Amino acid sequence: MAKYTLNINQKQVTVDADPQTPLLWVIRDEVGLTGTKYGCGIAQCGACTVHLNGNPVRSCSLPVSASSGQQITTIEGISENESHPVQKAWIEAQVPQCGYCQSGQVMSAVALLDKNPKPSDDDIDAAMSGNICRCGTYTRIRKAIHNASNEISNGSN
Amino acid sequence: MEATNSIDRRKFLKITGISGAMLAIGFESLAMDMGDDPMVKAMMAEDFIDGTAINPFVIIGEDGQITIMATIPELGQGINQGIPAIIAEELEVDLNTVNIVKSSATRKYGRQSIGGSRNTRSLYGPMRKLGASTREMFIQAAAKRWGVSADQCYAKDGQVFKKGSNSGLAYSALVKEAAAIEVPKEPALKSKKDFKIIGKSFPRPDLALKVSGQADYGMDAQTEGLLYATIERCPTLQGTITSFDEGAAMAVPGVQKVMKVTRNVYGNNNVGLAVVASSYYAALQGRKALNIKWNNAEFTGISSSRIDKELTKLENEDGYEHVEKGDFKATLDQAAQKIEVRYDLPYLSHTCMEPMNATVHVKEDGTCEVWAPSQSPQVQRQFAKILGIPENQAEEKIKVHLPYLGGGFGRRSMNDSLFECLQISQAMTKPVKLIWSREDDTSQGPFRQRTAHLMKATFDANKQPIGLQHKMISQAITTQGRPSRGRLPFEVMEGINTHYDIPNISTRFVEYKNQIPIHWWRSVFGSTNGFAHEGFMDEVAVMAGEDPLKFRKDRLKSEPRFVKVLERLEKEADWNKKLSKNEGKGMAIVESFGSIMAHAVFLKKEKGKVSIPKVVSVVDCGVYINPDQVAAQTESNIIYGLTAALKDPITFENGAAQQANFDTYRMLRMNEAPRSIEVHIMENDEAPGGMGEPGLPPIAPALANAVYDLSGKRIRRLPFDLQRV
Repeated sequence: MAKYTLNINQKQVTVDADPQTPLLWVIRDEVGLTGTKYGCGIAQCGACTVHLNGNPVRSCSLPVSASSGQQITTIEGISENESHPVQKAWIEAQVPQCGYCQSGQVMSAVALLDKNPKPSDDDIDAAMSGNICRCGTYTRIRKAIHNASNEISNGSN
Repeated sequence: MEATNSIDRRKFLKITGISGAMLAIGFESLAMDMGDDPMVKAMMAEDFIDGTAINPFVIIGEDGQITIMATIPELGQGINQGIPAIIAEELEVDLNTVNIVKSSATRKYGRQSIGGSRNTRSLYGPMRKLGASTREMFIQAAAKRWGVSADQCYAKDGQVFKKGSNSGLAYSALVKEAAAIEVPKEPALKSKKDFKIIGKSFPRPDLALKVSGQADYGMDAQTEGLLYATIERCPTLQGTITSFDEGAAMAVPGVQKVMKVTRNVYGNNNVGLAVVASSYYAALQGRKALNIKWNNAEFTGISSSRIDKELTKLENEDGYEHVEKGDFKATLDQAAQKIEVRYDLPYLSHTCMEPMNATVHVKEDGTCEVWAPSQSPQVQRQFAKILGIPENQAEEKIKVHLPYLGGGFGRRSMNDSLFECLQISQAMTKPVKLIWSREDDTSQGPFRQRTAHLMKATFDANKQPIGLQHKMISQAITTQGRPSRGRLPFEVMEGINTHYDIPNISTRFVEYKNQIPIHWWRSVFGSTNGFAHEGFMDEVAVMAGEDPLKFRKDRLKSEPRFVKVLERLEKEADWNKKLSKNEGKGMAIVESFGSIMAHAVFLKKEKGKVSIPKVVSVVDCGVYINPDQVAAQTESNIIYGLTAALKDPITFENGAAQQANFDTYRMLRMNEAPRSIEVHIMENDEAPGGMGEPGLPPIAPALANAVYDLSGKRIRRLPFDLQRV
């Protein structure tokens, strides 16, 4: 066991954990932010996606020891009151069904639009195919990303 | 986050008139005492609502806030809003201002289990009646106060008005008087033309929680002092433990206990070893150190190749009769031409995004708190038996939270993880969260059935079909762990359409038995039968030299609803438009769970790569609640069904499933999904049909028929690789 100071959603938290513990379980069970989900544990489904210094990473496969000192953003940290354009677009298109994968979907979409505000369908395929949705909301996710993209570019004009 | 300590914060509901209301709508099991018992210090969802419950579902606050309880497990299908919408319609309140609250699991809400695309179908009538009788109670209360007859009054927007007057009385001002009124047994229901909610798309209230990480799933249960458990189970499911290294597991920092648990799967008590620790990671590390030796030699003989052989051996059995029309066997001699082929479908895993889990706290004071991510969450009576709690105290001593479900698909109608977790918490008298790993979830079953379908068709000299046989060979779900019943199991022939106007039809079921447990999997036997039946019907149409859609229209004239769906599909999919050489189209139509669904699948081959640019769907589900959710469920079934058709099967070697995680049991992803899915809904006044499953059975055959149209290759075995057609 060792102590780690993590910067999560711009707050410092200190946790006591085995260095190899995946960041996912630390975020969920030690810090208490349960929006980030466990889906596979081997970086195949994307349900655990968080941002590390703005880049989407699979927190199920990232040891807590490698996360210390980095800027970690979870689904709880991207906005207050679901006001991020991606969240608004998700609600507008009524994307989620069971919703379990959607924290990860939203985090991947936010990271995509941060880097590429006008993604093509192929860009969306490339950025989002690491996130499995078993309810099959893919067509709505695609639509919501395009809508969010439009809102972001209109907002910046 | 729910607090568990502050009993002072509880807001007790003033419950009145319940037995009457519940009897009036036909929930006979509910005429019971439902007083909340302060001895259980669990804060349940209901404890956060302030107001008077005019019945268990409708609570009116003094501030005018109307709360409707969402009591049916929400696993993505929108039922959380769907059932309250039905109540709100008849109650004459604005759905946008209603506070919908996810309830706990308890008998006062009647049956809360969910499956068989059943809930809207079975609750549409009773919940309209409940809403209408509640509305009439408010109207009578207002009429009494005004000294006029009830027929001089009407309700609108949560208020009662006197005809000709513009000032109304809010329901909240009438609660006490309304609650004293005898519940009308036959309230007048609204006519469909006056519906303001039913049939219209309303945004779902749970989605804001689901885009911000706030929705509470079973996996997210948190309570003070929570321990985490993982279980190592036998790869062959059945088997006994010869030896294990308890010391090595206990040596892992954080591990607190290693114990045997049993998992009942269709009568077999399968043994596993649970490792309980202060963190899930520690529990997993302890599990890795167990080094269990299994004694399971008698269960290692089964393999996919052996199953194939066993199914083939049964091909000549007659089996059980389903439908016999005319004399199919006689046509075998008369026929000018015949087709005889076999279709095969594999075992599959349900693979909910949220792996199986449960949280149980057996407390020292003899009470129990449960978080049940279940399609059948009312576990009180069964838990009471195990805990030695008298049945009449089960509801007050065992409190069950009903979290959101991260998928269900039938898997969560088996409560194995809850009973495993109960054993662990009981042994420790501590709160325990049991988490199945993805590998456990994929490989431990129960599975979707593996089926073989012997399909035969006979034709006269004009190539017109004169006979059709569909002989289905499979395990049955309802005869597992017991001898065969000697008659056709009710579930096995779902989705086989015997309405086709072919003079001699024979549909039969041959039962196969083996040790592999199978369970309700989205659309169940519709998912297997639909593929074989509608794939083969395409073959029959080709043999007859007819367009597959026209073939079906012409031969389903006895069923006008089918014909209307087909005509609509023909139009919406622009079916008769000629496609280019590198395109293909296929269609299929299946009735299941009370709804008729047809899909047209379009394929395109570009630079050697086959994609699915478009699926067009038409559904006749009778009266529907929320058209956007009808579309969402259809989209969902299409993706779920395409995964089943194109991705990995569950196969067995040495008695064990060969797939474990998403690297070996792959899912359809964004880049492979159809770019466009269009859903069209038929308008009519038929009784509501199910929507959670009917979209699935016709998708695989429509896809396979499109592959034939594109490439001339007939797909009769799932799964298949779309890039190799």
